[in-house]
Amino acid sequence: MSVWGALAGGAVGTVILTSTLRIAQAAGWTRMDIPLLLGTMFTDNRSRASAIGYVVHFLNGLVFALVYYAIFRAVGHAGWGFGAGLGLVHAMFAGGALVNAILPAVHPRMGTPWSDAEETPILEPPGFLLANYGRRTAVVNIVAHVAYGAIIGGFAIGLS
Amino acid sequence: MQRTDGYAAIRDYALVGDGRTAALIARDGSIDWLCLPDVDCEAVFSRMLDSERGGSFQLEPTVPYEVERCYQRDSNVLETTFATADGTVRLTDAMTLTDDGRLSPFRELVRKVEGLSGRVPLRWSFEPRFGYGERETTLQRRAGRWFATNGTDALALGLWNAGEPEPLNGLLQAEFEVSEGGAALVELSAASEQPVVLAARGDTERRLERTARFWPEWTGRIEYDGPWRDAVVRSALVLKLLVFAPSGAIVAAPTASLPEWIGGGRNWDYRFTWLRDASWTLDALIRLGLDDEAHAFFWWFMHASRITQPRLQILYKVDGSTHTKEHDLENLAGYRGSKPVRVGNGAADQVQLDVYGTVLESIWLYVQDVGHLDGETGRDVAKIADYVAEHWKQPDSGIWEVRKKTTHFTQSKALCWVGLERACSLAERGVIPDRSERWRESADEIRRFVDAKGWDDELGSYVRAPDMPELDASLLTLAILSYDQPESDRLRGTVAAIERELRTGPYVYRYRGEDGVGGDEGAFLTCSFWLADTFARQGRLDEARSLMDELVGLANDVGLFSEEIDPASGDFLGNFPQGLTHLALVNAAISIADAEREQAA
Repeated sequence: MSVWGALAGGAVGTVILTSTLRIAQAAGWTRMDIPLLLGTMFTDNRSRASAIGYVVHFLNGLVFALVYYAIFRAVGHAGWGFGAGLGLVHAMFAGGALVNAILPAVHPRMGTPWSDAEETPILEPPGFLLANYGRRTAVVNIVAHVAYGAIIGGFAIGLS
Repeated sequence: MQRTDGYAAIRDYALVGDGRTAALIARDGSIDWLCLPDVDCEAVFSRMLDSERGGSFQLEPTVPYEVERCYQRDSNVLETTFATADGTVRLTDAMTLTDDGRLSPFRELVRKVEGLSGRVPLRWSFEPRFGYGERETTLQRRAGRWFATNGTDALALGLWNAGEPEPLNGLLQAEFEVSEGGAALVELSAASEQPVVLAARGDTERRLERTARFWPEWTGRIEYDGPWRDAVVRSALVLKLLVFAPSGAIVAAPTASLPEWIGGGRNWDYRFTWLRDASWTLDALIRLGLDDEAHAFFWWFMHASRITQPRLQILYKVDGSTHTKEHDLENLAGYRGSKPVRVGNGAADQVQLDVYGTVLESIWLYVQDVGHLDGETGRDVAKIADYVAEHWKQPDSGIWEVRKKTTHFTQSKALCWVGLERACSLAERGVIPDRSERWRESADEIRRFVDAKGWDDELGSYVRAPDMPELDASLLTLAILSYDQPESDRLRGTVAAIERELRTGPYVYRYRGEDGVGGDEGAFLTCSFWLADTFARQGRLDEARSLMDELVGLANDVGLFSEEIDPASGDFLGNFPQGLTHLALVNAAISIADAEREQAA
């Protein structure tokens, strides 16, 4: 089991995850646009926001790969299947808390269920399991994260 | 105030809200409509749709009284004054805004009674009915407060000097007295999928004061000092209550199934956002200087429509989702027996080509205001224009969402032309990819179609559709959205024909022909304001002013308008208050003010 393997998996997995979401957008399955959501935390210029968002998302992907690695070490086991399982948990955390609840709470341009007439946010909140961005978003989110987790798990043992 | 079979007249309601949901309160102090936690959720009070089973929250003197109502100046805080033989009290109703410094209820409605003179005995009656009266409601007293619960939804009552309630057949009731200088407070704290916040009296009073301060501050941002200013400001305040703050979407109205004719079946749910209203909304908000709301709405509809782009769905839920399945609520009797009571809206599946024109127009308005678009959005806009160029020949259901077979509505085609023209203008400014040669070609083809097949020599007017040679008041939008010069012979002829065939005094009907629904309906107030707007654009200022004076006078006692009106009785009909009517009022007033300025110059 190797930390470099996990990091390499994180890099490849994040590219795959981001591409999966982008393809799903283009196919009309979801309006989920992670780079835009992350980038607009820093700017309201959409082009610049997307560029910043891709960088932030990539770095997040590496950080989460280290978290996966820590879990692999703690349980003494890694692999494609275990990584995919962790990816499923990651997807549920992202849809149920991270993007659904935590991101709107800290995002300066995103609405929350508490936003009232005093506020005029320019980004709608994702909703539980990100369903506000399209009913199939939950499925896309799970598929993308399971792929991400599987790649980290596989790379972690593959490069050891 | 008279009720008919337990139903207040639609005209007798006022609206309070917080940017997430809204309550309708009758002149007798009864809250007869409130959806929680959001405007498009199930109603907990729906007495408007069933006077016996719907549920309400009434507060009024126990002795005979006279009532007067007004909003606080430039505010959405409502004041109802009850004058009895022995004294006078003022009831202040508001949905409070969140106080960031304190833990605030998820949603909070406050009712404060202040004694102005003498001594007044009052009674309140709290009868919540979750799920439009379909779900069981449990009333319980715990932690010193009364709770109404069902599943993960809960309401808690905060009561101060407002009597000791007793549960009776699923409702809570209490009597109390307020003397001159005294005050009582009733607070409704709502929660969904989370614990209820039990507010202290001081915190509730502070939020009420804060809310009362907020509204005039917000109104101070309105840049309009032309004629009918009070009506314009009231309309802006109504529109602000229709904005769903968490997303920036704007609902057409906060109610469902208020009938377009008493006893009729034209009862629709309007708690959705229609993209058609986009250009009217953006135009009104930008012209009023409310840029934040305009930009939030623009980005909301660009995001919401992204899944279906370049095809546009005609309406969306306020959270941006597209699931708006229509069904009937069999348990509710309907407003004064008007059935079916529908929630959801089946029109979402229709093809309505005019939507593309209004959306591209609103993008044009946004770019004029802001000056730029990002590259990705620009590419999306160009694809929408491509779609129009490709699909304008298909039949549709038209602006009025007819539920019979589709046809080639003249207004739909003309608005496709408007959309392609705006796309060409956007391309000329370099904000979207330039495929204007193709768009111009289709626009020319559309104009040939409209001018040849959408025109009737005998009527001297554009007509509803080539196979429907009758008048349609939506053709007024051809002048407002500059399909043609408003003073052109063809549009003058069309306006004259609409006045002849569809106008009665200040009232204008949408059309007289078939629409596949059946039954009567009232005159459509938006069309009356469109007529005033068109007069202004045609330079007929005296007629515009005179019509506008009459129309503004039709508002209810607190300045609100419904969708339709019965010309014979003056009764309001349809969902209430209606955003499109208030948008049309704002735009007509500004058009007249602009025309007056131009004429003076």
